[in-house]
Order: sequence, then structure tokens, then C-alpha cells
Amino acid sequence: MTFDPASAAARGLARCHSCGHVESVQQLRCPRCQSPLHLRKPASLQRTIALTISAALLYLPANLLPVLQVQSALKGSSQNTILGGVAQFWEDGDYPVALIIFVASVMIPILKFVAITALCVGASSGRWPGGMTRLFRVTDYIGRWSMVDVFVVAILVGVVQLGSVMSITPGGGALAFAGVVVLMMIAAHSFDPRLIWDAAARASERAADGSRKKVDRKYRD
Amino acid sequence: MGERVICPRCGANLFSRRPNFVHRGAALTLAAVFFFILANAFPFLSLKADYRESDMLLAGSVSGLEGQGFPVLAGMVGVFMLVVPAMVLAAQLYVLLPLLREQRLPWARHICRALHEVRRWSMVQVFLLAVLVSFLKLEKLATLTLGTSFWAFVGLIACMAAALAAIDQRELWEKLEAAQP
Repeated sequence: MTFDPASAAARGLARCHSCGHVESVQQLRCPRCQSPLHLRKPASLQRTIALTISAALLYLPANLLPVLQVQSALKGSSQNTILGGVAQFWEDGDYPVALIIFVASVMIPILKFVAITALCVGASSGRWPGGMTRLFRVTDYIGRWSMVDVFVVAILVGVVQLGSVMSITPGGGALAFAGVVVLMMIAAHSFDPRLIWDAAARASERAADGSRKKVDRKYRD
Repeated sequence: MGERVICPRCGANLFSRRPNFVHRGAALTLAAVFFFILANAFPFLSLKADYRESDMLLAGSVSGLEGQGFPVLAGMVGVFMLVVPAMVLAAQLYVLLPLLREQRLPWARHICRALHEVRRWSMVQVFLLAVLVSFLKLEKLATLTLGTSFWAFVGLIACMAAALAAIDQRELWEKLEAAQP
């Protein structure tokens, strides 16, 4: 691995992931908090990509299986998938709720898949490092909000114990969706945003090399 | 409040100095513990329909899932909204209270490190949003009232967020390193 000559990593200095202490990477463990020291998170891209692919596979059952089954004596039984639930809120005129569930359960996971793919590409091309780092911070923060749907299922199941009148049971989709959220959170956490800056430094070095060669050729001709 | 150092490359906050952060953090954590106990002791939501009334405790959202044959999902919900917040509060007290007298207890540094790892899995704010969504969903079917526990839960979230904002990780580590074992 090559680093920007101006970076601490080029001098063999690592910042502890846990407490922020800066120490020579040869120490192996942070003298302050004993966590392992690395210049960059180990196997960052591989882990991020592997976890994202698992999450994408689990995203299928999360959307195809019902998250909620409602049985009521008056209306019969009905099953709701995530998208079905959003559609039903919309039809019932609960626009704010429909919007919250749509953003948290549909938009955020999809945007997170796109963002992590973009970050992995950015970590090898080194383009727009500033924007990519901001994208990483947002991605890392918003992931947990997808859990809303799972918590809603938990609360509905817990509070509705009306026996003969109505009963609510969770569906397999809820479990799969919780798995998607957890895997995506670990995926974002495994990503090391400094890889973007390493790639940017390599790209600018290559560009500088290229222009030097061009100048050389010009003088030769 | 205080001063801060930002990364010249990406603008992230690297370090901030916050006056009195140990006192502030310890006070807010104690308040959060108080709210946490209240939130678990009183009913969270009460539901009235057809002359039947049922109260749900905060833990009811976990036991309900477990009773319906979803132990893994129940475990996840329980960990994210009850176990992790309780661990975060306990760890903060363990680290911050002795720091008030410039001391540190055994294993304080390991606990502080664990605190950093575990904190991202605390989802109390997300749970609050879920409560509001379920409230709107059930409102048409039955008469719902938010119990004492709900308001304590709101207090818990406010105090936990304020405590997190009051403490700078690096400054905490500096204090911890300088403290008497």
C-alpha cells in the first residue's frame, strides 16, 4: 500500500480506532486502551463488499415475506409486506406515516446500497474525496433509522392483546429486514474513509507523472 | 461551547475542549439512569377497546415478539432499545463518577473502549419514532394513552444525547490516562 507522503500513515503512525491515540504502528496495540493498531482498517473493502452483498441477498426475503399479519374478527386476516404497509398507510390518508415508513424502510436501505457501492468505487478511483467522505458520514449515521419498521412491529405485537377481536403476529420479513439493517450498519462501519484519500493521493501522483512524461516528450521532439 | 479542532481534509471534528465535561457528563448520565428506571417501571402505552383495557410495559415489545415465536427478533429489539442503553449508562457512570475525583477504577480503560464500540447500537431515538408511528396506526382502532413511561423515555433520550454531546472522546481519554488508578 502507498500513502500520501504528507499523511501520518506514510511515517508509520497509526491513529487508534478506539481512543484516537496516535502511535507508531509497530506497537501493534494501543498503549492507552489496548485495542489493536492498524494504519487502515484491516481488509476494509473486502469486508464492506461481502457484508453489502449478504445484505442485498437478505433484502429479497425482507421485501417479499410479510412483516405483519393482522387477524381481526371483523375484517378477516391480512398480511402486509413493507411496501404493502406503505401503500396501505397512503390509501388510509396517513400521509406522514406513509412517508416516514417509506423513507426509513425503502429509501434509506436502497440509498445505502448505492452509497456503499459509490464509496467502494471512490476508494479505488480517488475522485471527489471531500464529497465521498461526507457521503460516508451520512451513510454511517442514517442506517440505524431503518430499524423503525422492526420496532413498529414489536410495539404493535406487544400492545395488541385483544384476543378475540384482533391479533397481530410478526412475519418472517421483519426478521430478514432487521438482518439487512444490522449487516448494512456493520458494512458501513467496516469501511475506512481514509482509503478514499489514499486513492486520491495516488491519482494525483499518477497525473503529475503523466504530465512530466508529456513535458519530457515535448522536449525530445 | 469550548474550542474544537477539525480535520483540514474532510472537515470532521477531531477534538474539542468542553469546560467541565466530567461534571456535566456525570450529571446528565445520572439523570438518564433515573429516567431509564422510570421508563421501565411504569406502563408505556395503554389501550382501551370494547371495555377491555391493556397496559404495555416497555419490555412488552420484547416479550410480545418472543411469545409469538420470534426469539431472535425479540433479542435484537431488546438489545437495541434496552440492553445497550443500560450498558452505555452503566459504563458512563463507572468511568465518569471516579473521574470527578481524578481517579479511575480497575478496568476503566477497557470499559471506556467497549463503550465506544457499543454506543452505535443504542437505538432509543429510533424506537421513539416507532412509538409515534404505532400510535398513529392504532389510534383509529382503539383509544390509546401514552403512559408515564413514555415521557420518562423522552427524558432518557434527551439526557443521553446531551451527555454524548457533553463528552469529547479524546478529552475523556486524556483525563482517564492522567487519573490515579
